[in-house]
Amino acid sequence: MTASKNPSRSTIITLLVGAVLVVLLGMRIASLENYTFARIVQDFLNALTLGSLYALIALGYTMVYGIIRLINFAHGEIFMLGAYFAFYAMTLTPLNWAASLLVTIILGGAVLLVLRSLFNLEEPKRTFVLALLIFAGTFFLLTFRKLGWIEALALSMLATGAAGVLLEAVAYRPLRGAPRESMLITAIAASFFLQNLGQLLFGARVRGFNAETILNKSQTFQIGQETVYFTGILIVVPLVTALLLFVLNLFVTRTRLGKAMRATAQDAEVAQMMGVNVNQVIALTFFIGSILAAAAGVMYAIRFGQIHPLMGLMPGIKAFTAAVIGGIGSLPGAVLGGLLLGFIEIYVVSLFPTLSAYRDVFAFVLLILILLFRPSGLIGEDLTEKV
Amino acid sequence: MMRNNLLTLASVGLAILALYLLTTSEGSSGLLSALTLIFIWGIAAVSLNLINGQLGILSLGHHGFMLIGGYVTALLMLPAKERRPFRTRLLSDWARDHLDLDKWLRGLGLDFIANSVDLKFIIALFIAGLAAALLGLLVGAPSLRLKGDYLAIVTFGMGEILRLLPNTREVAAFTNGPLGLKGIPGNAGTIWWTFFALLFVLWFFSRLKFSSYGRAFEGIREDEIAAEAMGVNLAYHKILAFTISAFFAGVSGGLYASYLQSVDTQTFNFFVTFFLLVAISLGGLGSITGAMIGTAVVVLVRVYGGFLEMPYPAWVSYLSGALIMLSAFAFSAYIRKARRLRPIIETKHYIFGAIGLALLLVAIIFHNEPWMTQTVQFFGMRKMLLAVILILIMIYRREGIMGRAEFSWKMIFGPREDIPTDEQRKQDAWLSNPELNPGLEEGGDDNASA
Amino acid sequence: MPLLELRNLYKAFGGLQAISNVSLTVEEGEIISIIGPNGAGKSTLFNLITGVYRPDRGDIIFEGERINGLTPDQVTKKGIARTFQNLRLFTHLTVLENILIPQHHRLKSSWLAAVLRTPAYRRQEEEMRKIALEKLSFFGPRLMSFRLHQPVYVLSYANRRRTEMARAMATGAKLLLLDEPSAGMNPKETKEITQIIRRFRDEGGYTIVLVEHKMNLVGEISDRVVVLDYGEKIAEGDYKDVVNDPKVIEAYLGRREE
Repeated sequence: MTASKNPSRSTIITLLVGAVLVVLLGMRIASLENYTFARIVQDFLNALTLGSLYALIALGYTMVYGIIRLINFAHGEIFMLGAYFAFYAMTLTPLNWAASLLVTIILGGAVLLVLRSLFNLEEPKRTFVLALLIFAGTFFLLTFRKLGWIEALALSMLATGAAGVLLEAVAYRPLRGAPRESMLITAIAASFFLQNLGQLLFGARVRGFNAETILNKSQTFQIGQETVYFTGILIVVPLVTALLLFVLNLFVTRTRLGKAMRATAQDAEVAQMMGVNVNQVIALTFFIGSILAAAAGVMYAIRFGQIHPLMGLMPGIKAFTAAVIGGIGSLPGAVLGGLLLGFIEIYVVSLFPTLSAYRDVFAFVLLILILLFRPSGLIGEDLTEKV
Repeated sequence: MMRNNLLTLASVGLAILALYLLTTSEGSSGLLSALTLIFIWGIAAVSLNLINGQLGILSLGHHGFMLIGGYVTALLMLPAKERRPFRTRLLSDWARDHLDLDKWLRGLGLDFIANSVDLKFIIALFIAGLAAALLGLLVGAPSLRLKGDYLAIVTFGMGEILRLLPNTREVAAFTNGPLGLKGIPGNAGTIWWTFFALLFVLWFFSRLKFSSYGRAFEGIREDEIAAEAMGVNLAYHKILAFTISAFFAGVSGGLYASYLQSVDTQTFNFFVTFFLLVAISLGGLGSITGAMIGTAVVVLVRVYGGFLEMPYPAWVSYLSGALIMLSAFAFSAYIRKARRLRPIIETKHYIFGAIGLALLLVAIIFHNEPWMTQTVQFFGMRKMLLAVILILIMIYRREGIMGRAEFSWKMIFGPREDIPTDEQRKQDAWLSNPELNPGLEEGGDDNASA
Repeated sequence: MPLLELRNLYKAFGGLQAISNVSLTVEEGEIISIIGPNGAGKSTLFNLITGVYRPDRGDIIFEGERINGLTPDQVTKKGIARTFQNLRLFTHLTVLENILIPQHHRLKSSWLAAVLRTPAYRRQEEEMRKIALEKLSFFGPRLMSFRLHQPVYVLSYANRRRTEMARAMATGAKLLLLDEPSAGMNPKETKEITQIIRRFRDEGGYTIVLVEHKMNLVGEISDRVVVLDYGEKIAEGDYKDVVNDPKVIEAYLGRREE
């Protein structure tokens, strides 16, 4: 049965609601005494960072949903893995040569396999050179350097990307073609599995994550008579995010594989008939989503200074909400949703400090409201089912 | 049908006898508490099965219903001395004084009820169920507009909101926040209470399943549009299912609260729903028998799986890892052979096998090395095991153990109604064969086979 | 008073006008066939009548009552039932269950009475089973006896079609909308279905509106034929007249180049 909703009516309502909220917000700002311009700037920086992190994670959700209509419940755990990989990369290095060799072989091998299958690197010569580079490079890095945050970020992204591809191959691929509820249940199970695996391997306690770089040094600048405090990370996160988004956009719009991804998202069967290797595309989607989540994980860890195996739960939910707000399946929607959610979270807590305990509840309420009244999100298409 | 009813009665009697013997024997307390848990979670699983299995709607918020039931029962049944001490800092005086079932009953002059903890529990559990049912209405409402995984996420969100609320200051007036409510009388959490509660629930749900309403639910599951075209009011039936399911989930929450003799904000979290999901998926979505079987397995893993999480020398873990990998290898080779898939062993399976072999060799060769003899302890193995079980079920046997079938005496003794007797087969063939059946049009009929 | 009356129905989907000014009267006891090229809007018309879609303009009047905007289950309760072009049976349920479910809406007992198995409920359950067998008996003994308890997915295609029709009858409807009842049937089965549809009307007292493509079936049993093309009614009347109407021929075959 069609809900026969006129699409523009829902848009009008959304705009009205948005306008009302902005007015309420304005009234609240005016009523607060110490809400100075400096505070606004402070909150803006925090919100931009948080929103960027949500955007990166949301992209993973939205890409996977767009391609196989699966809500990857375990994406939050991928985010967590990214943070931990970087943590171990920074704290355990330099490794002794034996351990270094072991890690190089395992991780390097995994990454190599993944890259080979994802990017069609079939030529033996090219593959051999690439393999040499990867193995040698990794080995030297691990043995002789104490890794800084940028190297750790890069390594973590690759390793987590491989982990994401592994997850898809083991848990989701056997269920290709199954009803969506079954896939969701599997994703939930995978999420629990990874959470507990994390607790098992990494220890359940919270650990400090010290980047010990300029990122963490407190800086200030003045606005009028007020001081705004920030750390370097608040600048780095939006920059890195913007860079990653730029590269992603280039990839998706300009390369053949990117085109294949968009085609598969629209109609996997026809894409297959046109010669697209759907398995490869799906694996690639997971790879990219996991890379972005890993970057978010590392930067989140630097920003908040702590990691623990369950750190992916709430950010995962919030990022998913962000993806839905923006329009699930839409890449710009995910970014928009992420930023929006970041801003909402920071500003609401700043303007209504008594409500901070309800932070998580609001995230869920928002998610439910959006799914009930505007499931296509802000940018997405109308998803009402037809008979 | 008389025979079936007698058989059922007889087996219930046997079960009661067995339980009685168990309670009087020594050293059975572990088994008894395991059974109690099976009964309590069984009620929750059977109630979840109504929505997820029979109605065909994936609902992930069940822990919210149990939470409501648990807290309401606790508040009503908390004895006077537990209501006063300074420990209950967040609980409001209003809640402490007014939500006291004992007080109401005595105020109504029903002292004879107020003096019996068991009778009070019946009333408290009923009220708890009603409270949860009210929420069932709320959680069920989105099912009228949404379908499939979106609906699942909404129910998940609602369940999580219910889980988060007891921690907030406003709601802590009723829940005492993270400190929780302690000192709940344990009568309803005993083996006999839970046993008879389960019997009632099984009776109720099987009656419901094999009635016209049960068929209507299954019709909605099979094809919602067709069901509506056949006169089934979707809204009414969906809400009805959610409400009934929530009621009994609340009851099971109350029973669990009595079993633990305390509730707090951690007692009913999403893991509870996950636990139940594994139980009913394993047993068979849509089957009450299956829900019980699944619950039994899952509870036994939880209760008796502790050995997995004890400290062992490291080489044991390598060895068990090797065994798991090698048996996964053998298992998938067996499955593929049985299902006639080619190639029998794929590359990825060789990887499993290779890793397994490597682990085995390492364990054997190095087992005396110091880094092998130090102890390791894997916490969370039981949860991981449950997650793995669920994934394996989804991949290899989505319908679970029982599928949608229900145990009935017919399975063992009775005549099968769906297989033609020789007499019927002859008549059916006669129908199809124009030589024997001159009234038929030329060509014959379509169903020559059974 | 006609049993069903469609007055100036309009229905558009986005830019596509699926039904355009369609009016129709169906008297009780008639058998009406609706024919037309694919995409003419025949199934859409059924969906409008049964409440799956709401008409943009116009009225649907059943037994003198305006039924626009009723939900499909309410329409069924009023006395209109349908079959589906692509069969929408409850595949994993047994034949008997498939025939019992459409009777559920006539159940007067509440769910509590059902659980408690009150005598009133038990009587109604007995009644429903009797009615189920009665409806299935239209097709001879083939769907009774052991097939009753078999899940529908083991049935042959023709048997599934028969079950679907019995299901529609079991709703207690007066008006049956049959959407391509002979689709996928070979000529012998089609002949049999033709006789059965006639028996529906003669013995069962049903009024029937069919959508069909097979002209021999249409010709043999219709009292009247209605032709739709691009959502409009382009002809109505006796089979012989309609089939020779130049507009109809043009709709199906196109116009001859002069």
